[in-house]
Amino acid sequence: MISLAGRDILHGWGKFVLTGVGLGLLIGVTLSMAGVYRGMIDDAQALLDNSGADLWVVQKDTLGPYAEPSSLNEDTERPIRAMAGVDRAAGVTYLTMQIAHQGKDVRVMVVGAEFAQPGEPGQPPHLIAGRRIVQAHYEAVADVKTGFAIGDQVKVRRNTFRIVGLTSRMVSSGGDPMLFLSLKDAQEAQFEKDSDAIVRQRARTASSPVLNPPGNPAVLEAVNAAQAGSTNVNAVLVTVAAGSDPDAVAAAIRRWQRVTVYTRAQMEEILVDKMIANSARQIGMFLVILAIVSAAIVAFIIYTMTIGKIREIAVLKLIGTRNRTIAGMILQQALGLGLIGFAVGKIAASFWAPFFPKYVLLLPADSVRGFLAVMAICALASLLAIHAALKVDPAEAIGG
Amino acid sequence: MAEGIRIENLIKTYGSGDTAVHALRGVNMSVAKGEVVGLIGPSGSGKSTLLKCLGAVIEPTSGRMTIGDRVIYDDGWKVGDLRALRRDLIGFIFQAPYLIPFLDVTDNVALLPMLAGKSNAQARKEARKLLEALDVAHRAAAMPSQLSGGEQQRVAIARALVNRPPVILADEPTAPLDSVRALAVVDLLNTMARQFETAIIIVTHDEKIIPTFRRLYNIRDGVTVEEAPAGSPGPDDAGKS
Ligand SMILES: Nc1ncnc2c1ncn2[C@@H]1O[C@H](COP(=O)(O)OP(=O)(O)O)[C@@H](O)[C@H]1O
Ligand SMILES: [Mg+2]
Repeated sequence: MISLAGRDILHGWGKFVLTGVGLGLLIGVTLSMAGVYRGMIDDAQALLDNSGADLWVVQKDTLGPYAEPSSLNEDTERPIRAMAGVDRAAGVTYLTMQIAHQGKDVRVMVVGAEFAQPGEPGQPPHLIAGRRIVQAHYEAVADVKTGFAIGDQVKVRRNTFRIVGLTSRMVSSGGDPMLFLSLKDAQEAQFEKDSDAIVRQRARTASSPVLNPPGNPAVLEAVNAAQAGSTNVNAVLVTVAAGSDPDAVAAAIRRWQRVTVYTRAQMEEILVDKMIANSARQIGMFLVILAIVSAAIVAFIIYTMTIGKIREIAVLKLIGTRNRTIAGMILQQALGLGLIGFAVGKIAASFWAPFFPKYVLLLPADSVRGFLAVMAICALASLLAIHAALKVDPAEAIGG
Repeated sequence: MAEGIRIENLIKTYGSGDTAVHALRGVNMSVAKGEVVGLIGPSGSGKSTLLKCLGAVIEPTSGRMTIGDRVIYDDGWKVGDLRALRRDLIGFIFQAPYLIPFLDVTDNVALLPMLAGKSNAQARKEARKLLEALDVAHRAAAMPSQLSGGEQQRVAIARALVNRPPVILADEPTAPLDSVRALAVVDLLNTMARQFETAIIIVTHDEKIIPTFRRLYNIRDGVTVEEAPAGSPGPDDAGKS
């Protein structure tokens, strides 16, 4: 037996392939949407992995430092470091800002980390070029996605930094590349007021009889010094000693300090389930709509193709073709359309993924799922046409 | 001559009660193998209904139908698989060729033996034999749309014959043709009927071909009357064309 579906497709292949390509672009968009979602999750996991932390200590009752603002005094780290089961503890600051670079604005997440010794949590775990920050001030390490090069000078607020090293895959949960500064420099950028504000605050302090008692200028100086600078961090990252249970250490820190502590699993839940959840639902809606549109297109095309063959189908039935053979012919055509569509979609998605501004992660498992979904949708969409074909009366081939 | 198809007192009533249409009121007919008979009658007389009953696409109300010595219908179908019956025992020729547009000429004909379970190679071999007999073997690889109307009709006849059915039903096969071509088709069907020992029933109201039938059934108000057309060759001339 020959393949009736195959012969029909070959006979009108131009229309069939064009339809398949159109469907394929739609499938490509669908696969990319799934890739955007996977990319968001992967960014979040990279953020957590690359921070090198086992525990996140944040301001009490906040979901900080990524999902909510959190502010702690950097001195919080000292008693934590002394606790049993804690290996290292280091303060970090996170601040998303725009930086002018070669005439363009680059959106980065400025990370302040402790660089006094290598291996402190919060530092970039690997460099792809250059060296780590060794001086206390005015050096920076940038993610390659910033577009910065070693030796570049970038201005963060009032100070200029020299890029001494490059790292990769260091992005915020929003996909912005990171720019690492020493903790002190980052604190200055984050918490320091601009000159205007300082002038105004100094004037207010000077005019207050309490802060500037007449005849005692030393008090005013002391107050100004205390107001300048900041010793706050957004979180303290903790690594636990080998053999210690992170949950137990977290419980101990919670008991002794007025802070909130998250484990890696809890942090992942905050990032993935809380921060990304809405975007995921958004993308889910798109996937549902795209699936329905694809199904409608396949159903419409296959139905039109079948209706155009009603006479041939009546003849086929009259000369003894079984319903199964005719249904199989229509089903195979729908699946053939799906096959072309999926191939085109997969190629299109792989082709345009790198041009997306955010990370698009095309997982092979998602492709397999997408393929099965396309085949299921095509099979479902062919039911309407199969129904119409099976209703055809072989007597129609004989004139009335 | 051996019997091809016989119909006894065939009745077909569409609907029931007040709206019942008595399309066939008791048709009797018998066609021998190798014989071609005409079936004529005014519009609405029941020709198509009779053809559909013979073709096993609608069920008669009562009566009896045999093909060869096989009882097909006796107040109810006597065969379980009507599709297989149509495929193996009945060839169809329609008003238009109705070839399958996406199959080439060979496979249009070979499709029937394939449906009957023969291998592609065997089916194509049989198809080619028929195409040769009908003088269209040189178009074996063409698509139907590339053929002339006459060539298409020949391929359609080859398709009707390829499974060597004892009966062929032709529904107005000459309607779209001019008289030269129409007579050529009837001539061809006569030749094929003898060559393949097939009983052929041609439904027509084509005045051009009516005189060529040696036997003619005229159906009026659902009843057949056998008549010999004026000026038709007598039974002694059987075998000439
Ligand atoms: N499916 C049907 N339902 C009801 N009546 C029908 C149907 N088909 C045909 N008829 C009626 O049966 C009669 C015979 O019709 P038909 O067999 O088509 O005649 P012909 O082919 O000779 O013109 C007509 O009166 C027609 O209206
Ligand atoms: Mg009719």
